[in-house]
Amino acid sequence: MFAYSPLGEHMANSALAVLETALRERKLDRTLTTSLPPLERSDPAAFIPFEIAAVDAVLRGGLPRGQVSELAGPHSSGRTTMLLQLLAAATRGGEIAALIDTCDGLDVASAAAAGIDLNRLLWIRGASSGRVLSALSESKDRIVDRALKALNLVLQAGGFGVVAIDLADVSPRVLRSLPFTTWLRLQRIVEGSDMACLLIVPEPLARSAGGLTVMCTGRTTWNDGRVCRFTGLDTGIRVISPRRRVDGSAAVRALANNSD
Amino acid sequence: MFGALYAAEGTDHCVLETVAREFSPRIEVCSPREITLDLSGLERLFGEARAIAHELRRTAADRGVQVRVAIAGTRTAARLFVHHRAGITVIDRGSEAEMLASLPLGLLDAFGGFAPMARARRGTRPTTPNFQPPTSQPESTPTETLRRWGLRTLGEFAALPSDDVAARLGVAGVEWQRVARGEDQHPLVPALPDERFEQTLELEWPIEGLEPLSFVLGRLMEPLSVHLERRDRGAAVLHIRLYLITRTVHERSLQLPAPMRDARALRTLALLDLESHPPDAAIDRVTVAVEPTPGRVVQFSLLTRPLPSPEQLSTLNARLAALMGEGRCGSPEPVDSWRPGAFAMKPFNPGSGIGDQGSGTDRIPNPGSRIPTTALRRFRTPISARVRVEDGRPVRVEQLGLGGRVEVAAGPWRTSGAWWVADEWNRDEWDVALGDGVTYRVFHERLRTHASEGEAGRVSPRPRSGEGGWFIEGIVD
Repeated sequence: MFAYSPLGEHMANSALAVLETALRERKLDRTLTTSLPPLERSDPAAFIPFEIAAVDAVLRGGLPRGQVSELAGPHSSGRTTMLLQLLAAATRGGEIAALIDTCDGLDVASAAAAGIDLNRLLWIRGASSGRVLSALSESKDRIVDRALKALNLVLQAGGFGVVAIDLADVSPRVLRSLPFTTWLRLQRIVEGSDMACLLIVPEPLARSAGGLTVMCTGRTTWNDGRVCRFTGLDTGIRVISPRRRVDGSAAVRALANNSD
Repeated sequence: MFGALYAAEGTDHCVLETVAREFSPRIEVCSPREITLDLSGLERLFGEARAIAHELRRTAADRGVQVRVAIAGTRTAARLFVHHRAGITVIDRGSEAEMLASLPLGLLDAFGGFAPMARARRGTRPTTPNFQPPTSQPESTPTETLRRWGLRTLGEFAALPSDDVAARLGVAGVEWQRVARGEDQHPLVPALPDERFEQTLELEWPIEGLEPLSFVLGRLMEPLSVHLERRDRGAAVLHIRLYLITRTVHERSLQLPAPMRDARALRTLALLDLESHPPDAAIDRVTVAVEPTPGRVVQFSLLTRPLPSPEQLSTLNARLAALMGEGRCGSPEPVDSWRPGAFAMKPFNPGSGIGDQGSGTDRIPNPGSRIPTTALRRFRTPISARVRVEDGRPVRVEQLGLGGRVEVAAGPWRTSGAWWVADEWNRDEWDVALGDGVTYRVFHERLRTHASEGEAGRVSPRPRSGEGGWFIEGIVD
């Protein structure tokens, strides 16, 4: 014969509260069910931070999950530096990340120096054509198409924290020739998931309403002492998404990778 | 009724086991040369015990194996007799102790020696105070002890009072006294036959192409998956054998990263592999076999973010490999080399995700703690460039309509290595900022250089790959 005990109910409620608090602290309360509404933008778990204070402040937490965002800018603007920082932050946090490297331009030494847990990075290497890509008209479409197909496969597989595609070396003319539905389809795939999809592009392309478009401008710094030396890269970050309230700019100083 | 088979030295134990399984499914492999089997019920098939023994011996001889056969009411008695006598020995039920009484005591050694066996069974040394083998000398076997007591036969040992034997030899002594009487210590533990996880389908008409093959593979994978699940096994290696109309066999083997038994995942992996390596003729017969391994036991955690399952990752890797090419997908791995741009690829396997998470402190934003380092966008194959050099410094870089006047140049940083092998490198690296705001890393290959170094005002000839000259290695970004 068991009697109702208010004390027992209180203990159960306390244990439940402790568990929920622990899950919330680890930002895992959303992994238990998929029926929850989309994350509020005020929720820290809805973003993947760069772990660079100035950038995270401007982006109000980081890149939004479940959205397609862009890092745009010309060469030497710091896009790749920012990308590697994001991948490093995600893998340090125990998530896995994927990089579709359309032109096979990732420098593994730079990735390691940025702090990426390389075991947690899925690196998909495209054709190593580099700048020649813009000149070979017969192969450019195929290379970009394959990269986009790979991106689709990774996004559909799910389970990744960050999925980035590096299109920085593809000429803007080729990218503009892609149908705009390409980016809408990507948006549909990532919607409602915990993945943040990031495009590295020479100029804004997708212009997702929910995602961020971040323009980068850069200036390399040099030490003009007795021996001239490359010391780093000053990157300016500017959020230009028109339909988000996030707006602002920040400056990031990246130091030269001396191990390189 | 139990039988014991004892084969001649050098006999293939698989053949011996096959012979035993032809007579009984309940067999126990005692050693590579010795098998005991439960013969209960065979009298109705072969007649009396001696007829069974003859049939066993004849079957073994047909397989080219010479065996001794002993049949008795207990397995222990059968084993002792098969060690003692050649040919066929049949002992009537109930008379085992009487028949064993005259056998020599040394059979216990042939049986395995009782001290090691008792120890193995208990995992400890005998602790009987009256039986303390000297530690500095080789351990004397208990049969030697018994011989020193004046015993010569099993019957004499069996006749000793069990209490006194236990007092002097411990529990192991009592157990071996029971062996000497022909009593079994434990019931027969049947050895399970090695199961083959294999499915074959003969096709009425040859098929061509992967689409019809996918249906065939699906039909084969389903029962295979059920079989694996019933045995709590997973596939470690998947073999696909396609028998072609050209009388050749197209065989593929897939090493799976984790034990898996999901039929759809296995079929997808097989199809993706066959897409890359298709058979060159129509298919007559399809065989799918797996090498089983114990199933995966996964304990998930509420406090860690779940990772994709190995099945999902394997399928994703296979799809990506089919799309991008072999070796183009995986995790990068730094290598122990100073060679610029050196790296290796390894399969993407982020681990179980349990207890392998980043440290909790890393998740706490720590403003100012992360100072980024600049990244290089590397051209995997360096691009040759025309470089004007003045006073030993590059002043203009040109390549395919890009480049321009050098605003700032830092260098040269000389690096070389692997001169002891053909694949050496020897270069001067420069970081150069051009007028368009782009910072390149360029290098001057010092091997077989056409242009003389530091020659003022000279534009180096456009080099061909491997012939030295200037190259653009990457862009600082």
